[in-house]
Amino acid sequence: MKKGNRRRALSREPQPAPIKLDPFQEKAIAALLAGHSVLVAAPTGTGKTLIAEKLLEKILAEGKGAVYTSPLKALSNQKYRDFCRLFGREKVGLITGDLSINEAAPLLVMTTEIFRNWCFANPEMLDNTSHVIFDEMHYLDDLERGTTWEESIIFAPGHIKILGLSATVPNVREIAVWMGEIRGSSIEVIEEKKRAVPLKISWISPSGDVLDEDQARTEVEERREVRRTRRLRAGGSRYNRYNEDFIPYS
Amino acid sequence: MSENSPTCAEVIETIQDHLPALYFAFGRGRTEMLAEELGRSFDFLTGRERQRAKKMIKEAEENCPGLFTLRRQNLRRLLLQGIGYHHAGLPPVLKDLVERLYEQRLIYVLFCTETFAVGVNFPAASTVFDSCRKWDGREFRSLMNREFFQMAGRAGRRGYDRVGRVYIRIDERYPEQTGFYNELDVEPVRGRLMISPNTVLSLLYWKTDEEIKRFLEQNLAVYQNNREIWQLRREIRELEEKEKRLAACFCPEKDTPSCQLYRLLLRRELNHLKRRKHRHRPGARERREELRRLLQTARKHCDHRICAEAEKKLANVTERKNQLLARIHHLQRNSRDFEEEFQNVWRLLEDLGYVRGRELLPRGKFALELHVQEILVTELVFSGILLEASAEEAAAILAGVDYQPGRDEWVEKCPFSLEHVVRLRKLLLKSGVPEHFCVWSHLPAALAAAWYRGASFDELMQKCSLEEGDIFSMLRREIDLLRQIERAARDDVYLADFMRGIRQLLDREEVALVGV
Repeated sequence: MKKGNRRRALSREPQPAPIKLDPFQEKAIAALLAGHSVLVAAPTGTGKTLIAEKLLEKILAEGKGAVYTSPLKALSNQKYRDFCRLFGREKVGLITGDLSINEAAPLLVMTTEIFRNWCFANPEMLDNTSHVIFDEMHYLDDLERGTTWEESIIFAPGHIKILGLSATVPNVREIAVWMGEIRGSSIEVIEEKKRAVPLKISWISPSGDVLDEDQARTEVEERREVRRTRRLRAGGSRYNRYNEDFIPYS
Repeated sequence: MSENSPTCAEVIETIQDHLPALYFAFGRGRTEMLAEELGRSFDFLTGRERQRAKKMIKEAEENCPGLFTLRRQNLRRLLLQGIGYHHAGLPPVLKDLVERLYEQRLIYVLFCTETFAVGVNFPAASTVFDSCRKWDGREFRSLMNREFFQMAGRAGRRGYDRVGRVYIRIDERYPEQTGFYNELDVEPVRGRLMISPNTVLSLLYWKTDEEIKRFLEQNLAVYQNNREIWQLRREIRELEEKEKRLAACFCPEKDTPSCQLYRLLLRRELNHLKRRKHRHRPGARERREELRRLLQTARKHCDHRICAEAEKKLANVTERKNQLLARIHHLQRNSRDFEEEFQNVWRLLEDLGYVRGRELLPRGKFALELHVQEILVTELVFSGILLEASAEEAAAILAGVDYQPGRDEWVEKCPFSLEHVVRLRKLLLKSGVPEHFCVWSHLPAALAAAWYRGASFDELMQKCSLEEGDIFSMLRREIDLLRQIERAARDDVYLADFMRGIRQLLDREEVALVGV
């Protein structure tokens, strides 16, 4: 084994940037504080969570309740730990299918399934809840679980305001109009298309070179060509080409 | 196993100035294999860092003896080189350790599956895609734009990196599978409503007719469908206006023999009929004469190019209109009839004795509290199968509810017969219950039974080909189901106690949740 092959990042231990709200975060928070339901669509890592935290801070200070739903149990557990650290253990509860802690707390972290069930069976338990936060709301599109999000949106008690956090989707406005129509109160859309850190996509060729898109497309074409001729040579007979991905008239 | 180029060591060599990297691979075995391979030639940690990593690993081992089973010894070694892997097959405690090491910047290359990209934000300097195809439970398919950017977007740490670097490997052997993605092409969110037995029972029990109607007629899928049809109709109306305007350009002599455009067509047909091939066809001679006669009409002298242009435009407009009409037709034919789907499930529930009209019968009230395989579980209880079983057998039976075995999974044979459950399932299918409403597998039975009897987690591992994480989530799902049945039991104290007893025995040691 070849050991001690020490290769490392050039810039190490960089310092985190100070927390300053982006314009879209400011806008979302302002709309929420003004009492609107809000749908935020922004790329991952742009700080959607911060919006939720600011809202929760205010709700808890006013002595009201809130529900935070997430699509995965592991995520709910993690959020529960985060919120305990932020707001104090006594203020936060956790309810998933196989676990419940501090159910009477003002801030409840749950799976979306539990929230949906409450909307049907115990809406009175949500009387003091002013907001529900749907994390990863694009799960609406999930083949198996989308129904849960939809039933939650449709049947969440009317007095509850919604904060939806979603990855970038092209039709957020359409979703918001639908939510507004079915719930009978309008939803503001806050969209951030720009990433906090822009992405640069490159391709790595079989020989280890970094390529841009055009180069990559050429490379892919050439490789396919090479494989095709290799196969032809190996096959010998000219009829073989019709068995492979050879398209004679293209 | 020989690796296709570029090998992951070559890839990492290329991007070594942009670490830490999340290296996405599709398949758990693949993440482990790649990590192993990289570990053969790379060691990223300095002495100090290795000490820190060692300390964190030691602490985790003290809190959880036997953390690194024989199978995971390689992970322990790799973690001390700054390399890790992370997938759903790992036990939660180990996943947690890997995540914490990553957060502490003690992992430079983390090989992971898609699950690492959902939710909690673990940013990296770069993300690498081993391939752009994944197994979605049925087939291998290319990643959608949304999935790709969910993962790729982990690249670029705020305040640290100027850009987030994303690398896609072009595999020497499968160049055509290389992915090309554009953030502008991210797929829209579509409504995916499904009508489950619980949905129908909940609607019947808690909601008014009015509310049910609204639910069926205004859900997202219907809304999107209607909206698209409405937009298409509007566009068609505009096209029809345009058609009218274009038609007004033509002169009144259009399509008469004096029109130059029409004469052009006639002449073309004449030439066609003069050819040797067509000359002697029946009726050809008469038609030729007719055409000659028509062409003797005086030609109108006009700028026929205006008409020609309008005609071309008109053809385009008509074609576009037909496309839109076809789309509307397609939407209308394929739009789902939620009313009918609702009625079907309702009728099924009525046939099975869960409801009478809008009234919920005992079975219906029981199923109202269940959220997974409602009908199958209710029948397990009401048929007496569950109550007549010993606790161990009940644990084994319930483990299989909604369990869909993965490819090549095997588990030791269950020590007792589960034939009666198989029979019940067949009976349900025969009485019209669709397959997806009674999903059950005998596979995890032996594991749940052994765990109930007090076996150690290692013993379970020896009984099957499942990974720690799979066994964990199978038993957690069963605990969830046991809680549901306990709630549904209401004043049936015996059933509730029975379920609680099983649950308390299952919810221990490795299967218990940590850190909450």
